[in-house]
Amino acid sequence: MTLLSKFFVAASSIAISCSAVAAQAEVLFWSTQAKPVEEAQAMREQVLSGAGEVDYQPNDGGPWITRLNAELSAGTGTIGVLGALHGDFSAMNTDDLVDLDDLGLGAASDTFNNLAKLGTGNAKYIPWMQASYIMAANKKALEHLPEGADINTLTYDQLIAWSTNVMEATGEAKFGFPAGPKGLKHRFFQGYLYPSYTDGVVRTFASDKAVVAWEKMRELWAVTNPGSTNFSFLQEQLLNEDVWIAFDHTSRLAAAFNERPDDFVAFPAPAGPEGRGFMPVIAGVGIPRTAPDMEASKALIAHMLKPETQIATLRATNFFPVVDVELPGDLPPSVQAAGNAVAIMSASPDANPGLLPAGLGDKGGDFNRVFVDTFERIILAGQPIEAVLEDQKKTLKRIMDETGAPCWAPDAPSEGACPVE
Amino acid sequence: MTAATTDVAEPSQDTRKAGRFVYVAGVVLLCAWVLVPLYFLLINTLSSPEAVNAYPKSFIPEFDLGSLTFFAGFDGILTALKNSILVAAMTMVMSILIGAPAGYALSRFEFRGKELFRLLILLTRAFPLPLLALPLAVMFIRTGIDDTVFGLALVHTTLAIPFAVLITFSLFSGIPIELEEAAWTLGCNRVTAFQKVILPLVLPGITASAIFAFVISWNEVFAAAVLTIENRTLTAFLLQNLDTSPLHLKFAGGFILVVPALIFIFAVRKYLFAMWGIANR
Repeated sequence: MTLLSKFFVAASSIAISCSAVAAQAEVLFWSTQAKPVEEAQAMREQVLSGAGEVDYQPNDGGPWITRLNAELSAGTGTIGVLGALHGDFSAMNTDDLVDLDDLGLGAASDTFNNLAKLGTGNAKYIPWMQASYIMAANKKALEHLPEGADINTLTYDQLIAWSTNVMEATGEAKFGFPAGPKGLKHRFFQGYLYPSYTDGVVRTFASDKAVVAWEKMRELWAVTNPGSTNFSFLQEQLLNEDVWIAFDHTSRLAAAFNERPDDFVAFPAPAGPEGRGFMPVIAGVGIPRTAPDMEASKALIAHMLKPETQIATLRATNFFPVVDVELPGDLPPSVQAAGNAVAIMSASPDANPGLLPAGLGDKGGDFNRVFVDTFERIILAGQPIEAVLEDQKKTLKRIMDETGAPCWAPDAPSEGACPVE
Repeated sequence: MTAATTDVAEPSQDTRKAGRFVYVAGVVLLCAWVLVPLYFLLINTLSSPEAVNAYPKSFIPEFDLGSLTFFAGFDGILTALKNSILVAAMTMVMSILIGAPAGYALSRFEFRGKELFRLLILLTRAFPLPLLALPLAVMFIRTGIDDTVFGLALVHTTLAIPFAVLITFSLFSGIPIELEEAAWTLGCNRVTAFQKVILPLVLPGITASAIFAFVISWNEVFAAAVLTIENRTLTAFLLQNLDTSPLHLKFAGGFILVVPALIFIFAVRKYLFAMWGIANR
């Protein structure tokens, strides 16, 4: 009893003395990116060290948007700068983001700068960094490559043949696919499989070519590690060798290259009949209208776009610069490997680059859901391809009609909402 | 006759043996249930990244402090630990201060709407926090208790109160009112009777609900992540970032999250065990 009561007294006295904590005059950088502890640490120590007083706080999507919405509806806030993916920004109300045109900043790519306007006439965020999805393989798998196949010009058929060879040689399915709960599988369908097979995403969603694409996906799944429905970061499975050949986001493969640079190779995504489809990932920095110190927030954004900050960000997060910079020679192995693979992918003669879904607003999640549901029904549940596509097509059409989003590459441009043909 | 008695005695001895075996096996299973995961957490925390990814796993830690050293140098982790302890302690104090009198009232007095009251208390757990967090955060920002340890402790107290009320309610109900009445006849008033007779009897239960409150507060992430920024708790600070971190750091981070809670429970175990009458032995 005495110990317990002492404890209570001590606790309550500390509590009283601490309930009045002074707020500090720092810029709060509220981010959904660079979340893993090592990346967060590198952001704080290297990227933001020269930017004055910055409090870098990476968050899950849920708390990130909830806190932001709370500050917006309270009309006063502590968040100075937002760091998030294009999709996070496009789900926001554009009035809640401060116009950033007067900063005179932007990415080297006009495509990115236009995306950052979120359908308005002004820059609503500034592109901050970019990444992509690539393939990675354990060098042990290379001897099983089918005859005549080159990893840098791989096709989907060769990938399936290769994974089959590996499976026959080892007795285990060693292709890995991020189909886990936090995995980015929808991007594979939107940016890789569909463009490679149908030269579109929305228009061609239920086309005959799409049926072929899903048939190939079924063949690939047959030689895919069945544990893939639990994989979200393929670097883990590459390192513990559950998987020898993998597709994932560049930063989700980074640990494998950094921990055992001599054991893995990175290479472009495979090509289909309509070319080598691939898609960028863009993260941006923006300012909510409730930022407490607008000048400090803008200064921080300017800092993030400096060439040396962009290189520091690349080292910290494995996301590449969006401005023109001279890359130094001593970058970490993951950056070199991924950089090479992306360069080969974009320069390949059959390259078929896609864009991120745009104009979907807060329906971005529903749009992804269409692809995830289609995958689960066709591949995991084994339902007939045509029927599932016809069914999901209705959902997709409704989303496009509700948002009125025009087509984006590789779909042919549209007047008004992108039609599902 | 002798043959008959042994015939009877043998099966009963067998049953006793079997019963004892089941008992021991049950105890071992329950201990393993708790200890094996903790042990794996420990070895993986003390292993190098290569060993963590290797298979099969070793059962002996190699005492590589790399992962722990990383967290030792992680900005803000100590502040977050301090905040976590503060919030958990305040949650404990407040949930007991509010919950125990409510439990006492429920068990000792008859009043209108008593059943409804009991139901309403449980209802505070019926709404998921992600749903409540937005309006709460807006209100906290407007009232100025946003981003304070006290504000977060208020939310955690709300989550802990149902347990505090229901545990103390059943405790007080288990103590005959005659004990209190006897104390009144011997010169105690209501307050002193409670203090001298009832409180020592319910202390173990109070400790149990205090531990509940502590653990609820310690484990809560969503409200902590939305309602605090400068004064983040350890869970909000680390947990969100761990799921995307490499495996060896996940283990080390998990270890760091678990250990303070274990130490606390170990420290108060004396009061908890008193519930089954084996206190201070």
